[in-house]
Amino acid sequence: MIKIKSLSKHFGNINALDNLNLDIRKGELLGLIGPNGAGKTTAIRIISCILKPDHGDVLVDGCSILEDPLRIKSMIGYLPEEPNLYERFKAYDLLKYFGELYGMPKDKIEPRIDELLELVGMSKRAQHKINTFSKGLRQRIGIARALIHDPEIIIFDEPTMGLDPATSNTIRKFIASLKGEKTIILCTHYMDEAEELCDRVAILNQGKILDLGTPDYLKSKIHGETILKLKIKDIDNIQPRIIKKFESVENVSIIGDQVLVSLSSGEEICNIIELFENNVLSVNTKEPTLEDVFIQRVK
Amino acid sequence: MHSLVITKWEFKNTLSSKKFITIFLLQVSILILMIIFFNSFMGNIEPGKNVALTPSLTGFASIDVVDNENLFEKQLNPDILKINRMNYSIAYNRFKNNKTTGLLIVPSDALEKIDRYETLNLSLFVNYNDPKRSVVKSEVDSASKSLSSIITNEWLKEISPENLTQPSVEQTEQGEPLPLQIINKVMIAILLFLPLFLFGNMVIDSIVGEKERKTAEILMAMPLSPSNIILGKSLAIIITIAFQVILWMIILLSAGFNIKNAILVYLLVILTSIPIIGITSMIAAYCKNYKEAGIGISFIYIGIVGFLVVPALAYLSGSTRASTISPMTLVMKLFSGETISTTDLVIPILIIIVVSLISYSISIQLFKRDDVVFGPRPSLFRLFFEFIGILSLIKYIKSKIL
Repeated sequence: MIKIKSLSKHFGNINALDNLNLDIRKGELLGLIGPNGAGKTTAIRIISCILKPDHGDVLVDGCSILEDPLRIKSMIGYLPEEPNLYERFKAYDLLKYFGELYGMPKDKIEPRIDELLELVGMSKRAQHKINTFSKGLRQRIGIARALIHDPEIIIFDEPTMGLDPATSNTIRKFIASLKGEKTIILCTHYMDEAEELCDRVAILNQGKILDLGTPDYLKSKIHGETILKLKIKDIDNIQPRIIKKFESVENVSIIGDQVLVSLSSGEEICNIIELFENNVLSVNTKEPTLEDVFIQRVK
Repeated sequence: MHSLVITKWEFKNTLSSKKFITIFLLQVSILILMIIFFNSFMGNIEPGKNVALTPSLTGFASIDVVDNENLFEKQLNPDILKINRMNYSIAYNRFKNNKTTGLLIVPSDALEKIDRYETLNLSLFVNYNDPKRSVVKSEVDSASKSLSSIITNEWLKEISPENLTQPSVEQTEQGEPLPLQIINKVMIAILLFLPLFLFGNMVIDSIVGEKERKTAEILMAMPLSPSNIILGKSLAIIITIAFQVILWMIILLSAGFNIKNAILVYLLVILTSIPIIGITSMIAAYCKNYKEAGIGISFIYIGIVGFLVVPALAYLSGSTRASTISPMTLVMKLFSGETISTTDLVIPILIIIVVSLISYSISIQLFKRDDVVFGPRPSLFRLFFEFIGILSLIKYIKSKIL
């Protein structure tokens, strides 16, 4: 559905994207994760034809962003990080305005607005002005705006950023409900969100894809089966290379006063703990998460 | 089609904006106040009410006169000279102490000399330190000529017993005096063109506001071309101007101003608003915030006002050469009911078309650039060098060398 070919973009001396290649399948929900400045927003802005690449191209359903940007734009629903809506508009009028801008037939706009307002739970606020809405309500209207023309592709840039847990949960459920029907690109900083929603996840850093795959694949690829978490008294004296001598140890990282040891099996756990003698304050084991993968890959 | 959707919603929002309605009502109130003040001013300077439009010269220079017979003093112009009649000794002392510009001494036997048909010699002392001396000399010359003429007439009356009748000129007044015409024309023209400069902030709000509020991102993600966006927004403001100008014209006509060819005048004013909004859009498309755009339009509007007003003033002062370039001159000629030549019509309209095409093209090109809309914004020099192709040339040379 979307084919990103050798995409590069720089702003001044900063390389935002560096020869990025990626294929996104039809009906797939692809997560883009990466630290701040990794190039996620630049990538989705180029796919949405908001920015022009310095090099490379993106083919959306066979159309090039360089040659047919208007057609591609009409296929995409884009929700930026901040909803940035027109404050003076009433919610209903805003959706009508964008419906008209997308060239929707007049008789289809109003039923679609009613349907979307119902879907995002904003029917009762339809005649309220945007400037009276909280961030969560604005984000809901932003989602309705992005979906007004029933696009085949939806791009969400940090849709739950800065929202309270209840609103975030509502939006996540809504995104999950679109899965399979639409091709979705989801940029997020929340690893649990990516893990919960995405079919595949691409880890981006410094404009390049570090890894790509299903969350399970990424977890299994980077870590083993188990992560051993040890809280140690004299953390400064710990030498990771000694721990790495064990056969089942795949990776060792020190975060704060904790040592995280990735293990392919749990057979040597006791031997590892014995290494620290009486300095161990607490011991935990956990299944690896996407967050662990992210920290490992990006550090 | 997309442009019209933007125009419709921008116009709808403008009309429903409380801020706009308040400003609009304030502008109408100011217009009405201006008309009231103008009418009262014109009432005061109507001929016959002793109010002159030129600066007064009363008492411009002073002259002391020693004229016992009071023969000459009456002939001097008191509107220009401050005349002091006094005896010789005081007058001479004043002159010596530079207290007067001139001293005129008429002989004490002046009447007798006239009766005897003898030449009457006057003495005029002039203070050469005073730059107003030439006025005194000229006034004394005129007064002596006038006195000579009176004496000659008296002699002629004595020669012919019947009173000689002087030919008289009957004067019929028609139309307004020239200064009033000028004031009227300038006033109407200024009031008609004023709304064109009152909407700069709306253009800024409409275009720069998209960047400041970050709504440009969603607008650029819509299936719209930059030309749709710029033209749609500009058209909404031109419609608002058209709406305001028509209202102002109705108020002016109701207040008794004489506007001939009102429809043509209206169309020409609206036509003039197109390049003005184009130039404002161009500035707004480049600027990254309201403050910068506000400074930009302040400077550019001074230039535009100069371009409109200076040729119009040249036309009022009788110069015809450069005056035709300004649409304001054409509007003045139209509402005064003057005959319009092809040159009068073609030159300003051609300028309007050319400036509109250039300004809108630049605005659209600027809005097409993601670095101008989202940053980091290129400098004006860089844009200029890109435009004239220097950067491409440097790139080409670099690629050849490397």
